[in-house]
Amino acid sequence: MTKTPQTVPATNTAPAPQQTGPASPYLPTEALVTRAAKLTEKERLFALALLNGQNPNHTQYPVAVESTRPSGIAPNAGSTLNYLPGQFYMVGLPGYGEAPFSVASPLGASEGLELCIRAVGNLTNAIHRVPKGGRLWIRGPFGTGFDAASMKGRDVVFIAGGIGIVPMRSLIKTIVGNPGYGRLSLIYGTKSPDDLLFSGEMTEWSKAGLRAFVTIDKPAKGWSGNVGVVTTLMAKLDIDPVRTTAVIIGPPVMYKFVIMNLRKAGMRDEDILVSLERRMKCGLGKCGHCQINGVYACQCGPVFKLSDLHGLPEAL
Amino acid sequence: MKFITKTGLKALVTGLIRDYKVYGTVKKDGFPAYGEITDAKQLVLLQTPTHLSAKGFVFPERETLLRFNMEDGSHKPVVEAADQVIIGLHACDIHAMLLMDRVFAYGAPDANYLARRAKTLVIGTDCMPDEHCFCQSIGTMHATEGFDLFLHQTKNGFAIDVGTKRGAAILRKYTKAVTAAASEIRNMEAFEKKRAGSFKTRLDAPAAALPAIYARSDASPVWDRIGSICYGCGSCNNVCPTCYCFDVRDEPAANLKQGERVRVWDACTLEEFALVAGGHNFRKPRGARLRHRFNRKFRYLTDVFNAPFCVGCGRCIRTCLVNINIAEVTNELIAEDAKRGIIDETVRTKKAER
Repeated sequence: MTKTPQTVPATNTAPAPQQTGPASPYLPTEALVTRAAKLTEKERLFALALLNGQNPNHTQYPVAVESTRPSGIAPNAGSTLNYLPGQFYMVGLPGYGEAPFSVASPLGASEGLELCIRAVGNLTNAIHRVPKGGRLWIRGPFGTGFDAASMKGRDVVFIAGGIGIVPMRSLIKTIVGNPGYGRLSLIYGTKSPDDLLFSGEMTEWSKAGLRAFVTIDKPAKGWSGNVGVVTTLMAKLDIDPVRTTAVIIGPPVMYKFVIMNLRKAGMRDEDILVSLERRMKCGLGKCGHCQINGVYACQCGPVFKLSDLHGLPEAL
Repeated sequence: MKFITKTGLKALVTGLIRDYKVYGTVKKDGFPAYGEITDAKQLVLLQTPTHLSAKGFVFPERETLLRFNMEDGSHKPVVEAADQVIIGLHACDIHAMLLMDRVFAYGAPDANYLARRAKTLVIGTDCMPDEHCFCQSIGTMHATEGFDLFLHQTKNGFAIDVGTKRGAAILRKYTKAVTAAASEIRNMEAFEKKRAGSFKTRLDAPAAALPAIYARSDASPVWDRIGSICYGCGSCNNVCPTCYCFDVRDEPAANLKQGERVRVWDACTLEEFALVAGGHNFRKPRGARLRHRFNRKFRYLTDVFNAPFCVGCGRCIRTCLVNINIAEVTNELIAEDAKRGIIDETVRTKKAER
């Protein structure tokens, strides 16, 4: 019997697959779409509930990287829908793959887990076709989240650009309307009025005490509000650097300039929180795509204190 | 230490072929490679590294993680592992596999890798450095664990280190091993002495100093220079025994009813590795991608696992189309760093600990 030696392992010749050792961390949980609403031409908001209540097989995996920089706060142990603002889920559709999406709903939301998804590729366009009553498959929650309780007694400045408003909404709705916080302010910038998300809710947040400043990048017909990048509104914030926590979520280009302004206002890096977007394939600190220098954003982030990003030139 | 004759090895391999899938070092089209061994005659114990590492046997370049049904939405986890023996790993390869074991056991344990690894027997063998080997400088020149058996070729046969009970069992079951005679051990020691004096590639600083040196070298002109010649082809990642970054993607069957979620090797030197949906690429320049890869080998993962993730096998050097040489680059960084005149306390402490 002579066979040509093969240079790759013949994986298909394995005997009957058998489940030994730990369960696959890649097995997703089935979730029911309880609401699917169009927000803009590109974005839809989905509310999800688990089909059979909580998933009994859910495991909260330990953070994989020992040299983790203390940031945000550690993932909360618990079940699939027990998330923190700022955390994310891997959301998938069989045949289309999985991608990471930030939580859009607040801590302890009665309406279930909300995700706001922009259609930009194959998977997200397929997700957009999922109607109410349809299903999505999720893994998570992953990463660090915002510790809203630690912001009590402080002024909080939310600075969001573009789709960064989605995770910011989770934090804003966790904080706004609750007692114990200082002055709350939001600056939100988008490319055009058509891209504005949650403008209806913003009115409610304003009524509940949030100062909201909205800006668009370029003049547009029918727009009477501010025009310019988010930093053009920062002077209006009148920041008290000692008692303020700033949260920044936006496109990569935004961070540097916003941080420059916050530092100019006297803020310390310890009081500036950012959430950083990266490509992610596993959520488990292994696939390598989300690495910021030596740090896995899926484990040590996506929420970081700015002071924890010193020495990570790839971060911002 | 045990000893078997050359005929004894043939009996061992023949016996293993009966009961296991056996892979070993072969000459494939004249090139050193791992291949399936269906006859003991096919095994060629090589003195220099294979082109591809042995990582594919425990971390295949494509493997199924889930099978799903697109109609009813069911997902079934897939963990495939067959009993297998890999013969011919060198000390560097064994060190590499030990590092991979730690990576995949860490945090969320990787069911697929761990199942394969548990069913894998490793038989190592000694080697002689070629011009690009530099395991001596990394400290991965000898393996004391991570193998079931380790064969030292001597004049009359093989002196054998038995690493595990499984190793002892296959040795007992398939061949007749005796206690190695003093002459065989002397023979082995003479070989090792010759080997230790044969390295042509060396790093100019101790491995323990490299994380700090790399940390100070982010702005080195070296990165732009090698970036300007790099093709961004990903070959270095593919041949590396400790590169484990991967992509996860869905492969629907042609009937669009079933499909698989698969994990495939990815490479941080490829252009799209750090690209996000909005179109921003966090490591677009090729120099930045190479800097990332080299830092993973000598700094980032070392910070986490307290061991260098380059094992000095030289594969990326041999395979690079434009002769980017990780040892030469590291030596350049070491030389640049020496000019900074920083006395490195970590190195002094580590030396003192020894």
